[in-house]
Amino acid sequence: MSFLKKDKNQAYFYVAPAVILVGLICIYPILRTLVMSFTDNDGLNPAKFIGFDNYVRLFLDPNYITPIYNTIIWTVFATVFPVAIGFLFAYSMQFLPRSNYFQILVYLPATVSAAAAGVLFGFILDKSGLINQILSLIGYDHLVRDWLFRAPENTYSMIGAYTWQTTGINMMIFIVGLQGMPKEQLEAAKIDGAKGLTLVFKIVIPMIMPYFVIASLLALINSFRVFDQVWVMTQGGPGRYSEVLAVTMYREGFVLFDLGYAASVAVLISLVGLVFSYFYLRSVLVKEDVGN
Amino acid sequence: MNYKTIERIKIVTGLSAMAIIVMAWLYPVFFLVVNANKTASQYAKGDKTEIIWGTSIIDNAITAWNKGIGDGVLNSLLYGFAGSALAVFFAFIAAYGIVRLKIKNGLIWFLIIYSGTVFPFQMYLLPLFEAYVAIGIYNTKIGLILVYVGLCIPFATFVLRGFFLTVPWEIQEAAKIEGASNFQILYKIMLPMAKAPLLLVFLIQFTWIWNDLLFGMVLSRSVGVRPITTVLTGMKDLYASMDGPTILTATVMASIPTLLIFLLLQKHFIRGLTLGSMNAGKG
Repeated sequence: MSFLKKDKNQAYFYVAPAVILVGLICIYPILRTLVMSFTDNDGLNPAKFIGFDNYVRLFLDPNYITPIYNTIIWTVFATVFPVAIGFLFAYSMQFLPRSNYFQILVYLPATVSAAAAGVLFGFILDKSGLINQILSLIGYDHLVRDWLFRAPENTYSMIGAYTWQTTGINMMIFIVGLQGMPKEQLEAAKIDGAKGLTLVFKIVIPMIMPYFVIASLLALINSFRVFDQVWVMTQGGPGRYSEVLAVTMYREGFVLFDLGYAASVAVLISLVGLVFSYFYLRSVLVKEDVGN
Repeated sequence: MNYKTIERIKIVTGLSAMAIIVMAWLYPVFFLVVNANKTASQYAKGDKTEIIWGTSIIDNAITAWNKGIGDGVLNSLLYGFAGSALAVFFAFIAAYGIVRLKIKNGLIWFLIIYSGTVFPFQMYLLPLFEAYVAIGIYNTKIGLILVYVGLCIPFATFVLRGFFLTVPWEIQEAAKIEGASNFQILYKIMLPMAKAPLLLVFLIQFTWIWNDLLFGMVLSRSVGVRPITTVLTGMKDLYASMDGPTILTATVMASIPTLLIFLLLQKHFIRGLTLGSMNAGKG
């Protein structure tokens, strides 16, 4: 039919603005960063192509052991804690009436910007802040310290703040998963005498495994490239003791103007992120009804 | 005690336990509000857990507003509204073109747009900064609106494509037969049906723009352009000149809009946000 063909041509006018904008704001920068990472671009002198030098430097420079190590710590703990605590909240809400009010309250920190939460936790973790006041109040003076100015305390404190913010999202993923769980199977297991931890580990967790995979991969993706919280609370300091790769990238690019090198850090973050994203998208496409 | 009483005791115990846990969970928020409502010396010398009944928060809010938070709030409102509305508009027509007008290779066009959610933002920063400086839109409001529009289109297209897939084809065919143009079908038939998903996507993207820190940091510098998050974190850097309660009040002010949106929509929003954060691009 002729009018259908006309529709298809007209369709280009509808799709074009979005494609052009995404092309300019997203796709062009991605390609340009990739090219930049193979140059010695410093924003001033003409950039020379230097092959894989930036990448070699990244792996050989002992200064970068700390950010890489911190990023690994972040990726592990900022995945395990929010996912585990999120599951605990979701699972215990199952047994309570009107738990939706609790859900909203637990979720609340996730609605606030990482910048605002970072500023708030800066005050809580400050030398004369809330945590230290409470510690000396209950007689644990020896634990009082400058939480954000000492490694490794600063990284773990920031992971704590991050956990507070992101647990709610994981809880919601598990609530969706638990709601979709077939109740008969659970009842049957209970009749067979399964209860407590056995029930959780042998029956519940295996049944909602797809949701565990989705929540964990999502947490991996986001914690691997964490920036806001670290930048706001410590800027990677003192020195570079709490620096993570996303902060390294920002510092090299926008403080030290070593653009080529910063681009190679960005590419490294992307490559690892893409591996997680691949598995993530695969499991979401398998379980497409999640969130509905 | 019979079975029912035991069950009731269990539930009451569970509820109380959960209430205590949730109160502890929200204690940082309590700390924030209580200490925002103090004077500088009350905060510096006093007990951080103590509640002081008074109106210091109003003075603090006025100080914070005049020291840059006011500009930040107004700028971020502009970026949130304009960025999100334009992104939703472009995504709406794009999704219509892909799904309803059956553009050739529709899936490929969709994936090109959707690819904007896959890469970490670190991949965007250097070239955007470079290009913005080169064409003279670095540190301008137009520049920030543009970047937020581009960044919000992929997720909005993803959701609205989902919407268009659910609309029955008979409606469109009937309108076609009566001689309606494609634009009339979009405007008169699809738009009224899409109000709910459009509003939801708009608010999710507004929240994301309001909370963004990175692009504000990289693409703006002066007070008249910087969004609220960069102004707020900048206040913290000027620690000496700004007292604790004023910064805490500014933190409250920076959190109110997104908190209101969340409380207004609650469950719908949580679902949308969960979905949104599950799009890898929005951390």
